[in-house]
This record gives sequence, C-alpha cells and structure tokens, in this order.
Amino acid sequence: MSDFAVGLISNIGMITFVALSAYLLLVSGSISFGQQAYFGLGAYAAGIATTLWDWPLALGLAFGALTGALGGGLVGALTRRLHGLYFAIATLAFAEMTRLALDLWRYQRPIGGELVGPDGPNGFAGIRRAFTDGWEPLSFMILIWVLLAGTMLVLILFERSRSGAALRGAGEDPVLARALGTDVARLRVNTAAAAGAIAGLGGGLYAHLNTYIEPRLFDVMLGVHALAYGIIGGLGTAFGPLIGVLIDIGILESSRLFQGWRMVVFGGLVALLLIWRPRGLLDEATVRRLRRLFTTPARHA
Amino acid sequence: MLDVKDVVTAYGKIEALKGVSLSVEPGSITCLLGPNGAGKTTLMYTIAGILRPRRGSVRFGGDELVGQSADRVVNRGIALVPENRLVFPQMSVTENLAAGAYLRHDHGEIASDLEKLFARFPALKERRSQPAGTLSGGEQQMLAVARALMSRPKLLMMDEPSMGLAPLVVEEIFRIVGELNRDGITIFMVEQNAHMALKVAHKFFLMEQGKVTFAGAPGEVAQDEVIRRAYLGSAKAT
Amino acid sequence: MIVDIVQTLLNGLAAGAAYALLGVGFTMMFGVMRRLNLSYGATLMFGGYLGALLASRAGGALPDAALVLLAAAVTVAGATLAGLYVERLCFAPLRGRSGVAAMVSSFAVWMQIEEFSTWLLPLHTNPYPAPFNVASWQLGALTLRPEHLLTLLVAVLVAILLHRLLRASRFGLAVRTLSDSPAAAQAVGIDAGRTTLLAFLAASTVGGIGAWLVLVADQQVTPMFGMWSMAKGLIAMMLGGLGSIPGAVAGGLLLGVLEASGQALFGPQIRELIAWGALFLVLVLRPGGLFGRAAFDLDIAAHQRL
Repeated sequence: MSDFAVGLISNIGMITFVALSAYLLLVSGSISFGQQAYFGLGAYAAGIATTLWDWPLALGLAFGALTGALGGGLVGALTRRLHGLYFAIATLAFAEMTRLALDLWRYQRPIGGELVGPDGPNGFAGIRRAFTDGWEPLSFMILIWVLLAGTMLVLILFERSRSGAALRGAGEDPVLARALGTDVARLRVNTAAAAGAIAGLGGGLYAHLNTYIEPRLFDVMLGVHALAYGIIGGLGTAFGPLIGVLIDIGILESSRLFQGWRMVVFGGLVALLLIWRPRGLLDEATVRRLRRLFTTPARHA
Repeated sequence: MLDVKDVVTAYGKIEALKGVSLSVEPGSITCLLGPNGAGKTTLMYTIAGILRPRRGSVRFGGDELVGQSADRVVNRGIALVPENRLVFPQMSVTENLAAGAYLRHDHGEIASDLEKLFARFPALKERRSQPAGTLSGGEQQMLAVARALMSRPKLLMMDEPSMGLAPLVVEEIFRIVGELNRDGITIFMVEQNAHMALKVAHKFFLMEQGKVTFAGAPGEVAQDEVIRRAYLGSAKAT
Repeated sequence: MIVDIVQTLLNGLAAGAAYALLGVGFTMMFGVMRRLNLSYGATLMFGGYLGALLASRAGGALPDAALVLLAAAVTVAGATLAGLYVERLCFAPLRGRSGVAAMVSSFAVWMQIEEFSTWLLPLHTNPYPAPFNVASWQLGALTLRPEHLLTLLVAVLVAILLHRLLRASRFGLAVRTLSDSPAAAQAVGIDAGRTTLLAFLAASTVGGIGAWLVLVADQQVTPMFGMWSMAKGLIAMMLGGLGSIPGAVAGGLLLGVLEASGQALFGPQIRELIAWGALFLVLVLRPGGLFGRAAFDLDIAAHQRL
C-alpha cells in the first residue's frame, strides 16, 4: 500500500473518532461545537504520558481517553441545565478556552539532550513512542482501525440496548423521557463523558502518528466539521459519521478532483443534501428500512 | 359563508383531518366540540391558511381559500384567535393591537378602531403600554380577541377561548362573543365548555378522530345522549 | 493611573462599539429565524475581501477619499449579497424544519464562501483602504485615535436608525412580532418567509457596517476575519441575551471593555481567553445573558430545540 493511502486511511480513522464523539451527543439531543477540545486534551495527555513520563503506549492512549472523559464530563456537569443552542455555544466557549490555554502552557523536560514537552503556541514535538516501540505506519493504521471498529461496535451494541433506547428517547423528547423515569441530567453528563473519551482516544492516536501537535490543530473548524460529518452521514446509525468523513476526506480531498475548489463544491453539495435529507443520508427511517431488508427474508425462510 | 368540504390535512404520514366537511352560516355563532386530539385546532389552522390540506376545499363567500397564504386569508376577512392566546409577550398591549392591523393601510381608521376597542376592553386601556406577557390570563385572552378584531374580520375563529380561565372571566368572554355577534361578526369557535357554548351558539358540530360525527342545533345537542355524557357531564336533559 | 483607566475604557468602548454592531446583526438573524447562522462571519469576510480587491485593482486610479467610500459601499453590499445567498440556500428551504440541518448547511456554506474569498485574493494579508492619515491626537495625557471616534459615531448612528426602523415602521413591526412569537405572527397574517428574508438582509447590512469599522481600524483583512468576526458577534450576542438587540449592544460594549482591561492588566495573550471565559461563565451561571430575561429566553430555547 502506498504511503499516501496509509496516511489517508489513518486520517479518516482518526477524524471519525471526533465525528463519532459529536454523533453520540447528537443522538442524545445535544449539539456540540466543542468535541475538538477533548481530541486535543487526549492528544496532549497521551503525548505527555508516553514521552515525558515514559508510560507504555497502551497506557498513554488510555490516559488520553480518560483525560477526554474527564474534560467532557466536567463540561457536561457544568452545562447540564443548558439546552439546544446554549449548550452548543457553551461547548464552543470551553473548546476555545482550552485551545487558548494550551497556547499559554509550557511543560518541558530535557530528554536525550533536548527539551521536550508542550511549548505554548510552538506545540509539542517529539512524541515518538509508537515508532520507538516498533510500530510501522501500516501497523499503526491497523491499530487505529481496530480501535475504531471496537468503539463503533460498542456504540452499536449500546444503541440496541435499553440504555441506548433511553438515550435516543431523551434526545427526542426530554420531557417525556423524564416522565418515564429516565434521569435525563445524569444521562447527559455520562454521555458527555463517553463522547469525551472517544474523542480523547482519537487524539492520543493522532499525537502518536504525527509525533507533533499544536493548539491550532484543535480549533473550531475541526469541531464543526465533526458535527457536520455526523449530520451528513445520518443520525440513524453509528456508521453515519464514518460515511460523512469518507465523503469529505475519502472522496473529495483525496481525489483532488476539485483542487482549490473542494470547499466550494463540498459546501454547495452539503447544503443541497440537507434540503433533501435534513437528518442525513442514513437517517432513522432509512436505517429501519435497511434493517427490515436484511431481517425479513430470514424470517420468511 | 364558510364551506369546508372533505378536507384532509396530514402531519407527515398521520392524517389529523380525514375528510372534514362543515359549514358556518353568516351571522351565526357556530361551535365545534370534540375531545383532545380530534383535529379541531388543525382544522382552524387549515382554514386560516397556516396549514396546507392534502385534499379538499375551503370556500369563504364563494372564494377558494385552499392554496392561499395566511396573510391572504386574513385579508379576505377571517381572523384567528389561536389556542393558548398566543399574544406577543414582549410587545406592549398597543403594539399587539397594531400587529393585528398589520395588513391594513387605512391609518386613520386604525387609530379610531383602537379607541373603540379600548372602550370595549377598558382593562386593556389601563395597561396599554405594559408588555403583554405581564397581563393575567383573562386579560391576555381579551387582548388576543381585540387583536383579531383589529383586522376587521367578517368571520372570527376562536380556538378554546375559555381554556384555563376562571369562571367569571369565561362568562365575560362569552358575553363579548354574544356582543360581537350582535354587531354582525360571524363566530366559529372551538369550545370544550359546552354548558357556556349552549347558551350562545346557534349550531354545533362534533369532531372525533379527524371526522365530523354530529351536526345539529342546541336543542338536538342537549338531546344527544353521547354528547350529553361527554360534554355536559350529566344525564339530565335540560 | 486614572488616565490609564480612562484610556483603557475608551479603547474598550471603541472596539466594543464595532462588536456591538456585529452582535446586533447576528442577534437579529437569530430573532427572526431561531436559527444560528454559522456563515455570518464568512459573509462579512466576503464583503471585506471585495473592498480589498477593489483597492488592489483600482488603488492608483481613484482619489483616496473616493476609494475609501467605495470600499465601504462594496464591503457592506458584498456582505448583504452573501447574506441573500445564505438565506436562500440554507434557511429558506428548511424553514419550519430541522434547525440542526439549517445550521450545518450554513457551516458548509461558510467553508464555501471562505474558499471563494481567498480565491479572489490569495495572499494572507490584504491591505484595506483606511480614511485617516493621522495616527492619533493627544488630548492631555489621553490618546485619541480617529478610527475610534469614527467607530463610536457610526455605531451610534446605526443604532438610532435601526431603532427607528424597528419601532416606527411596518417592516419593523413584522420583524418584532416574528421575533416575539412566530405562531402568533402567522395568526395575524405576517408573511414569515418574506419578513425573514428582509430582516436577514438588514442584519447582514448592519454586520457589514460593523465589519467595515473593524477593517478600517486594522487597515487589512486576512482569511481569519470570518472566524474572528463570528466569534466577536457570537460573544456579544450571548453576553447580552440571545435574540435581544439592546442586549447585543450592551454585550458588545462589555466585551470590548473586558478585552481592553484584560489586555491592560495581563497582556495581549490573555485577551481572547478572557472573552471566551466570560462567555462560558455567563452561560453556566446566567444562561439568558446578563441583560436578558433568563427564564423567557431559556423557554424559547427549550421549545425550539435545535
């Protein structure tokens, strides 16, 4: 496989983590413009753990996910009274605060004769743990996709469980859900923490693949793109975000068909798509229809 | 005056009106009864041009209203007092009334109509510069009626004007309904309070599950066993 | 010491007056649509780019004063035109339907307009025609910058005109009814589609004027301007209370003063952090904004779940 293809496929996988994170909140009825914060926090935390504290890669990634969960849970708890746009803007404000704080933050140590660690706006270079441990770009790509597949499997199983149904119910009608005995506030905080963990895991992978991160990478653009991928792909299934990422990065960016005009084309296409299908390509009704298509013949046979 | 024929209105796949036909005679007070979810509000919104029916016809004085926008319907002389009053809470009483005359251009007449309405509703005059959201429920209902009158309607549609109001206020509202009718305005109202409606209305329709299931004069309503049990709460004939 | 405080306050109010206009445009759009227009900043950037494009092409051929006025006109008209495009493509087709879809659609168009603008002028920094040759005047120990006075003057003028438009015209009545209660507005026969479109255009114009004031002070426009102006408009709007025009004015002025004092006390790196921090705090503690009616605004938000 060419280096270009490996890089592209790895990229799609990592961005899908952020998109899944935004999607999980969407399903629970919350719009977040700020999932990039937990991606960034996860990247910094995992990088610090493996580089400055010399933790093994697996522990570093877990620490990144945990940091994302803590960040997401904290914001979820602080904003548990907020709905709709108010929640969305609060998440954006927190994400921008995080980015600007990382711009001010310095935490460096000499390692091998060199100062390593977060250096404000100059970023954090030398996160080489994955490669000194013998990971190749190809094997790392596989690692990304195995973790992504695991995350998606958990999400899909969760969506089919009773708690998953409760989550969707709380998203569609919080008042009714509360009347049916769902603790909506707690559910929302837990969802925010889980979404933070997913983004944080993606961030840890990102830091170790690129070996260099800087606060600028985790700006609003990333967060709103993640949200948009979730909607474009469809709110009916956890495959939706992956499809959204595939359309944008997989087809439009990689094909370079519209070089220099990608956003003009993509932007226009998305606007038209959403007039036609306001809940995305794989919306709930389509998913139900597809599911029937695959299950009914079996029952008849 | 108003002829509704075989109207079907749907929200997505769910048909809220399944072929509704009824008519309102000029100069009458016509009352529409029915349980919650029967489609009464949907019918009002369809007539007002806010919802578009899938099929059927709504004729008003010979003109077809289906396909006309809500502002055209108001211009033709139909005004709606929506369910739950729906005043403009942050705007003053006077501004609310001005909004009712939005489609009119005769400024002099508007000013004199405003004074006439203040004479009819003195409570509104007292609170003319207060935000409508600070008014009591009864006052808000009066304001919603007065706002509808500002468009000089021939037909006034009222969606549950007595809902959630104290008995004294309800009586006051029905008194005004009678007065307006004597002044020549045709009234078409949705009402759950059949006792009050029986005192003023000339004609009744009953809607259930998206269909008209009964039509008759007040005397027939009082005789009908089903309606009596459901809406008058007693088996005793009056 | 006193002089420093007055100076900081003055700088803050001048910056804040421009933020106020950015916030007013944003909040007017939200008021009539109950939707967030994410491409707001991009449409303003497009206007600014048109002004800079004009300067780069016709710079030598026109007298300076004419160039300044023409750039102003082109910027405001460009922002309004881009607003027309956004309203027709993203909001009109989805009116009364999914709010999230409309918002994501406007985000996609943000990307589109931004890329188109940078295609017009590919450089990172583009000079923007500014009206003043003097850098500043000294008034005792105070430094007065002419563009600060211009900003304050224009902002007050626009505020007065907008107030008259909304309070004393038929169009203003329609806009206010729609912002106050869309359902009741329909019942009195207000054409929501047409009113929304016109209000959207008026809001784009107000935002365009705000953008022009910022660009004149900066004397340049960069691809960051879209994001920047949206952030400022958003914070001004939310600090004051979503959907409230006087709130957006107060929120803008407060934001300007907060940033200026933060910078004076802790240095320029802290400026943006303070702005977002203030927004986060206000949202967590008093979601309806400092000047809005918290309960009422929250009701709208809960009701109009995006």
